[in-house]
Amino acid sequence: SLVPTHVLYEHAVGYTLFNIKEFEDIGSIIPEVDAAIGDRAKFNGIVKLASFEPFKNAENALVNCNSISEGIAPPDLITFLETNLPKKKKNVVLGVQEAKLAGSIIEGVPGLKMTFGGPVTEILRGIRVHFAHLAKDLPHHSLSKAQLSLGHSYSRGKVKFDVHRVDNMVI
Amino acid sequence: GGGGMRGGRNVVVEPHRYEGVFIVKGKEDALATKNMVVGESVYGEKRVSVEDAGVSTEYRVWNPFRSKLAAAMMGGLEDVQIKPGTKLLYLGAASGTTVSHCSDLVGPEGIVYAVEFSHRSGRDLLNVSKKRPNIVPIVEDARHPHKYRMLVGMVDTIFSDVAQPDQARIVALNAQYFLKNGGYSVISIKANCIDSTAAPEAVFAGEVNKLKEEKFKPKEQVTLEPYERDHAVVVAQYRPPKKA
Repeated sequence: SLVPTHVLYEHAVGYTLFNIKEFEDIGSIIPEVDAAIGDRAKFNGIVKLASFEPFKNAENALVNCNSISEGIAPPDLITFLETNLPKKKKNVVLGVQEAKLAGSIIEGVPGLKMTFGGPVTEILRGIRVHFAHLAKDLPHHSLSKAQLSLGHSYSRGKVKFDVHRVDNMVI
Repeated sequence: GGGGMRGGRNVVVEPHRYEGVFIVKGKEDALATKNMVVGESVYGEKRVSVEDAGVSTEYRVWNPFRSKLAAAMMGGLEDVQIKPGTKLLYLGAASGTTVSHCSDLVGPEGIVYAVEFSHRSGRDLLNVSKKRPNIVPIVEDARHPHKYRMLVGMVDTIFSDVAQPDQARIVALNAQYFLKNGGYSVISIKANCIDSTAAPEAVFAGEVNKLKEEKFKPKEQVTLEPYERDHAVVVAQYRPPKKA
């Protein structure tokens, strides 16, 4: 698989794009990321925050979360990537969490090279470990409050639109 | 909801050796957690108030016949890996009864990400979560952590009670996303959910081996007798730190 130059991290507060340092060989990425997971300074040497776009409001967060959950790139994400990735796509490889989302992004941003799995999985794991620190200067409110609010609305939506629910029947 | 035993002088509550868990002393000792939502039961469980120097504290009794986590505590688990401040991912949250005790236990500094796929149980879980701001309810399939990756942060511990034959794989997938290096998974295993023909001990050993293949190091195991038949709870450490 390709070595990512950027990775996308989705969180309840919004979308974040990270630059990834150049690795000499792909085989060294996983051990290097793994060694840096417990060491913030080392990890900062691997990923650099490139751009962030907060969700406009709770409703907007839910729309995006529902879409990401299904592996479909929502319009906000396509706009975010087109605005913030380098204009010349030739040397750009975007790493994302999973295959279906990668496929959907390619439809929205033709010509973009994508990668997922392997080293990307470990890099995203590391970002989750260090996200509170990486995001400390970003214009958002509490990370956990955003997850709490989105968890409630996401789950209410799941329960509400359940077509199989028994108590929905009217005789 | 059930009525509490009103703050009797006869009621004595002592801290358990598990931090955040308590023992209500009586004819038969009972496990309990400090009620985060004073005055309310979640599923009809008994409440007990204790006055000390004018300060009243309410506890909710935790029945090991209704909770595999409580049963594992009664079974003498060395360390349950859930205590005040713990960030916990709970897979198989059901209606949120045990989750509510975990919410009491981890307290306001902790958080419980509670995953349940059944919409019917999910509705109950949502109601429990409304009053408890340290529970993030997630109605979604624990087999697909990528679906709820925006909702969950890194956690100290995963508790799993999903009663599925591929539970070990489900836990490993979630650990890859959310469990910190050196964190723990606490897994309730029902032998005949995995293999109804093999001896329970062999099934438990098989599950432990699956965990070993997924970067887990087994730490301890207890059976849940007499509260559940042919159940075990296994505790394993994820990506344990390498010895220097």
